Amino acid sequence: MTTVLLVDDEKLVLRSLEKTLLRAGFEVLTASDCISGWELFRLHADRIDIAIFDLNMPGFDGLPQAEAGIGLLKKVADVRPNLPVIILTAYDEIGKARQSVEGGARAYFVKGREQGLVELIAQILNNN
Amino acid sequence: MKAHQASGIERHAILLNAAARVSRSIASILDLNVLLNRTVDIICDEFGFYYAGVFLVDETGNWAVLAAGRGEAGRAMLAEGHKLHIGGNSMIGAAIANRAARIALDVGAEAVHFKNPHLRRTRSEMALPLIAGDEVIGALTVQSELEAAFKDEDIAALQTMADQLAVAIANARLHRQNQALLRQVERRARLLKAANTVGREVTSILDLSQLLPKMVNTVVEAYGFYYAGIFLVDESGEWAVLRAGYGEAGKAMLAEGHKLQVGGNSMIGTCIRLGEARIALDVGEERVHFKNPHLPNTRSEMALPLIFGGKVLGAITIQSVEEKAFSPDDITTLQTMADHLAVAVQNAYTLEALEAAHAELLRTKVYEALTVATTEAIHWIGNKAMPITMTIARLQEDLAGGQPDLASLKEDLALIAESAEAILEVKEQLIGQAREQQPRPVLLADVLQAAIRQSQAGAVEMQISKEAAYVIADSTQLVRALANLLQNAREAGAKKITLKAGADKQKGNVRIRLSDNGAGMDNEILEKCWSPFYTTKPGHHGLGLPAALHVITQAQGQIFLTSQVGKGTTVEILLPAANPLLGDLGKTPTITLLDEDDEWARFFTAIVPTAARAESPAPQADLILLDEFAPNFDAALEAIQQAGLIGKTVVVTAALDVDRMTRLLRQGVRDVRLKPYSPAEIPALWAK
Repeated sequence: MTTVLLVDDEKLVLRSLEKTLLRAGFEVLTASDCISGWELFRLHADRIDIAIFDLNMPGFDGLPQAEAGIGLLKKVADVRPNLPVIILTAYDEIGKARQSVEGGARAYFVKGREQGLVELIAQILNNN
Repeated sequence: MKAHQASGIERHAILLNAAARVSRSIASILDLNVLLNRTVDIICDEFGFYYAGVFLVDETGNWAVLAAGRGEAGRAMLAEGHKLHIGGNSMIGAAIANRAARIALDVGAEAVHFKNPHLRRTRSEMALPLIAGDEVIGALTVQSELEAAFKDEDIAALQTMADQLAVAIANARLHRQNQALLRQVERRARLLKAANTVGREVTSILDLSQLLPKMVNTVVEAYGFYYAGIFLVDESGEWAVLRAGYGEAGKAMLAEGHKLQVGGNSMIGTCIRLGEARIALDVGEERVHFKNPHLPNTRSEMALPLIFGGKVLGAITIQSVEEKAFSPDDITTLQTMADHLAVAVQNAYTLEALEAAHAELLRTKVYEALTVATTEAIHWIGNKAMPITMTIARLQEDLAGGQPDLASLKEDLALIAESAEAILEVKEQLIGQAREQQPRPVLLADVLQAAIRQSQAGAVEMQISKEAAYVIADSTQLVRALANLLQNAREAGAKKITLKAGADKQKGNVRIRLSDNGAGMDNEILEKCWSPFYTTKPGHHGLGLPAALHVITQAQGQIFLTSQVGKGTTVEILLPAANPLLGDLGKTPTITLLDEDDEWARFFTAIVPTAARAESPAPQADLILLDEFAPNFDAALEAIQQAGLIGKTVVVTAALDVDRMTRLLRQGVRDVRLKPYSPAEIPALWAK
């Protein structure tokens, strides 16, 4: 079974995405900030197939940061350079997208247009 | 009888009498022109002479210049500038040179032929020196149509009169000098006053558009000059641009955008280039032709540089209608003024630069704040909207499948409901404080109590001075603002929250300090915390502080925040102080007040004689008042319902809330009203 690590500080988003992914047949590990996300990743580093990180959430200092998701992505990449990561964000902004991809993200996903998220995950995993 | 008709002793007596009368008449005349003109008339009238004239020695000492002459002949000669060489052949010239009277007659051995074309009928003439002290200051000529009109013995009588005249002339001259000195002293005093005004204004007015016109007005009016104008060098350094000009001429030149090239031929241009004062006069060898069509009467001009720190900032031009208008005093005081003015101009430039830098900083800050607010708002909206759309997609899928999982459906619906509620809540937070404000004197202690209850802040140490009891605000909004702040303190983990309020009588303010010993904030958070949607707390909207800022600002107040990580946060609020509004209560109903023994209950029962606080509703009361923020509110409401008294119950509150109000009205209360905080507001509680 494909395992997804999902990190988002917004409780309802987290639960809703989790449900959608569970429904699609994934195993879902959830965390609400960088610290707990990183802990979860270390515990299950070997079996995680894909990660989805919110961009703007509490960082490693516990305070909200505009690019916390990229920080988490970089730490994860040190351990698993080839792990595909999707950055989730509310910003419909090309600059942020490029920045995420340059930072090692496989894709960039804008909240509010999430219907295609399951397809995006499938597509990334297939290409892998 | 005239002298020439008498003889001997009688003749001498007549002459002496006439001399005495002339002396008396002229002794008190202090104006030199009046004195001389009157003298020639009085002499002719008293002595019966045909002509009299007074000559005064000029500055060179070489000429006796006619200063007054009798009749037409006198006027004609004055107009010609008649003068005679001292020591020359003339009688006047000889009398002055020899300091002795002379007589000339048209008869006898020394017969003289009088040849003055204006005085053809003269047959006898006497010239008497005018001697004041040791100095011969001029001579008097008296002339007669009669042959041999003067005798040697007449000289003594007439010389006495001439001596008196000389004294009178000396006095008049002294008076004239004194007057001139006085005018000079007065002018100096005026100039000092003007210099003081300039000194004062240059330090108090920093706006050049105000300062420069005042300067030109002060200079022109204090010195009595014709025109003054101030030029400042433009940014290119090539042009001196007129920035202020006196009167209509100034107005016209300013309208034309008058400017002169620095280093050009103009006095201002040269003055600025050399950094030196320039003076031009319409006299002497350096005659200048002033050609400015707006200033046709200029005969002298001075240009003084405005220098600060070695840099020439501009120049001031001062113009006069007089040919040699500028005294050394003028130049000294005006250059001092120009130096002061240069300091003021430099100060204004510095201020302008500071203001520009400040405006730039403000723009940057506003842009940053907007960026933070927009970024946070987009993030927030995305997060709230996403579960809704995603959940709806799942629901549609489930329903299309025909076998929906009921538990999942319920959870999805709950997700949608929670998201929607969060959005509505934010809408209320955003527009709540934008609703129409009802500022009035409010009892600070009561509003705070409501805010403490609403925010569930727990125990708050309160200390409100008597003078700070009332502030002007909308009580609903103030409760919201204070509750937001108290909630922040609580959520920052504060173990202790204190609130102190005191009055600043001079400023008419109440200063409220709300301090907590919670987690505190670092500078980065302090900078962003006023932005809407910025929050460091999960599940929060980040609207508490912006809403408090909005409410306090709308109440004409100010709010400041200081914080230290690990030590806590202090919020300082300034609000206008107030007094309760007095009013007549009229006939008061019997009122039972269900409330704890707090500040407002004490205020209310002290004002309304028929009101009493009670623990349970009294059936005989005309009106039951129930405080919405009373700790036992729910129990009290239930007791009222059980006693069947809900219809005469009015719920009073510090902060109206539409939802709570609707709920209470549905439960049957007569009304829900804002608490009255002034006697004038009380009768509305029972008004139909």
